[in-house]
Amino acid sequence: MKVFSNSETFDYSWEEVSTANWRKYCPWNEKSTHVVAVDTLSRTVDPATGILRTERLITCRQSVPDWLKSLLGVGMEESQVLETSYVDPAQKTVTMVSANLTLSNLINVQETVVYKPLNEHQTQFTQDAKITALCGGWQRIRNSIEDTLVKRFRENAIKGKEGFESVLAMSRAVFAEEREREKMMLIREQVGNIRMAAA
Amino acid sequence: MSQSLAKQCNEVKERYDTCFLKWYSEKYLRGIGTAENNECSELFKEYSQCLKVALKERGIDKLLEEAREDNKENDAVYLGRKK
Repeated sequence: MKVFSNSETFDYSWEEVSTANWRKYCPWNEKSTHVVAVDTLSRTVDPATGILRTERLITCRQSVPDWLKSLLGVGMEESQVLETSYVDPAQKTVTMVSANLTLSNLINVQETVVYKPLNEHQTQFTQDAKITALCGGWQRIRNSIEDTLVKRFRENAIKGKEGFESVLAMSRAVFAEEREREKMMLIREQVGNIRMAAA
Repeated sequence: MSQSLAKQCNEVKERYDTCFLKWYSEKYLRGIGTAENNECSELFKEYSQCLKVALKERGIDKLLEEAREDNKENDAVYLGRKK
């Protein structure tokens, strides 16, 4: 088993980060192009704790080294991951656990991501991935498979951070614009009311 | 918003995602959206029905069942039922 760990700080509040997280893989993110689809499978609020539990199916498309392709077959270019997330609004935590659906009999990838507030304006992201090649045979091959996947996690993590930064910036801008528009509408309405009252 | 795995579900998915995001930021995070039935429930039902067909066609539904079974431990931990 190999482990990939990473942690980042985002200069946005936990509320902003946890909201933008739902559209991390939208067109504003021009970096994480390996994620081609994100589908919500289920969504419930736990009555006892108020925790929002969501299941999403993440579809990725990414090229695979030739040696690995011949070893595992061609079914690896498009792969799917089940992500189960838990938002605890009382503790201000988002926890996302992900497991690979594709080739799960040969490779086991378990990833945990946590978003927690550092203070009112900053949020910490921590990521932990455990990668295990399950196929029998030579240790050396298992090692190579695990190393390849760790390398990919590292590459995707860098892109993911950059891409999410643009989503956060866009979300903040759009939100501010919306607030401004709502304010203008309210003012217009009030002016209208005053005019009507005066007439 | 991101795409759906199935093109034919994109339109309803977009409407649901937009509805959810509004609900999440304006209600849920402010502690007023804990009801199981909310303004997005109908859209979600529609989206799920579309998606269900696509998942079955691609054989993903069976893989999902197994993965959900493996995730039960996480549910216990993160839904606070196990310390």
